[in-house]
Amino acid sequence: MRISILILILGMGLVTFIPRFLPIAFLTRWVIPERVKMGLGYIPIAILSAIVFPILFFNEGGKVDFQLHYLLSAIPVFIFAWRVKSLWASVILGMLVYWGLGLLL
Amino acid sequence: MMDDHQCKEGVRAALPIVLGYLPVGMAFGVLARKAGLSTFEVGLMSLLVYAGASQFIAIEMISKGILWFPIVIATLFINLRHLLMSSTLSLYFKKDRLRTLSLLSAQLTDESFAVAMSNTSKISNQPSYLFGLQMTSQLAWIVSSVGGALFGELIDHKEYGIPFALPSLFICLLIIQIKKVRYLWVMVIAGISSILFKWAFPGNWYILLTGLLASGIGMMIETTRRDKR
Repeated sequence: MRISILILILGMGLVTFIPRFLPIAFLTRWVIPERVKMGLGYIPIAILSAIVFPILFFNEGGKVDFQLHYLLSAIPVFIFAWRVKSLWASVILGMLVYWGLGLLL
Repeated sequence: MMDDHQCKEGVRAALPIVLGYLPVGMAFGVLARKAGLSTFEVGLMSLLVYAGASQFIAIEMISKGILWFPIVIATLFINLRHLLMSSTLSLYFKKDRLRTLSLLSAQLTDESFAVAMSNTSKISNQPSYLFGLQMTSQLAWIVSSVGGALFGELIDHKEYGIPFALPSLFICLLIIQIKKVRYLWVMVIAGISSILFKWAFPGNWYILLTGLLASGIGMMIETTRRDKR
């Protein structure tokens, strides 16, 4: 264990912990305005959209690009997840479709 | 304090995350070893940092000979998006002590947040459920990154549909969030703006910016609806 790496890990751990901890520490003790609460109710779908859609439209180099392999795999997962809403089954289906398409494309 | 039944339910809810983390954690372990980290250092980073994207970027920078200040700053910016998730979680934990909250928030990730939000009735003032969910997820991350550091070369991470495991998880979690028609609108707005933000700004600012913009628009849609009534 090198000291430089230890300091790096501690520094990274600290700056990761702060934004994870401060909001929940303070906001559970403050009275939150109704409008802010309403806005927070849309954070999950906003963040999940921001995670999912760029995966489909950006390549590994970070350039805008149709990720055909990802897009074609995503369509059945979207439909299946909408009908069944099972996390497990969606993950397995997505992997199978992606794998199968990889053999074809 | 700890409720065994809730905790076990949380552990069970984490299993799709475990499936998604195992290959990614192993890939991290392999790359970290290549960048010169020891197996112990890999495990320690997964224990104390536990943030996938910033761990990969740290490894990238270490392998280029960059050490700590730039990496720490990059890590801070990458993880600012957790501000929004932590704020959202605060709605569900009112009476809990800071010690409990610090443990719960230390293990907050995109994946565990999204799974927790897929069934909010389970987390409302039930730290044991979230504890079980997050502890299991982090355990999978530590075990897989150490496993990858030890013998990750044996597995090809591009095979067997592995790259699409976490995207599939996120797609299903996204679908679960569409509770009413206005959530669909927020999704469309967030989807388009995230692509524009990612195109316009470096790094992963697009997640934080999209979160702020789209949730603000969601709030506006909801308030105008109420005013009309």
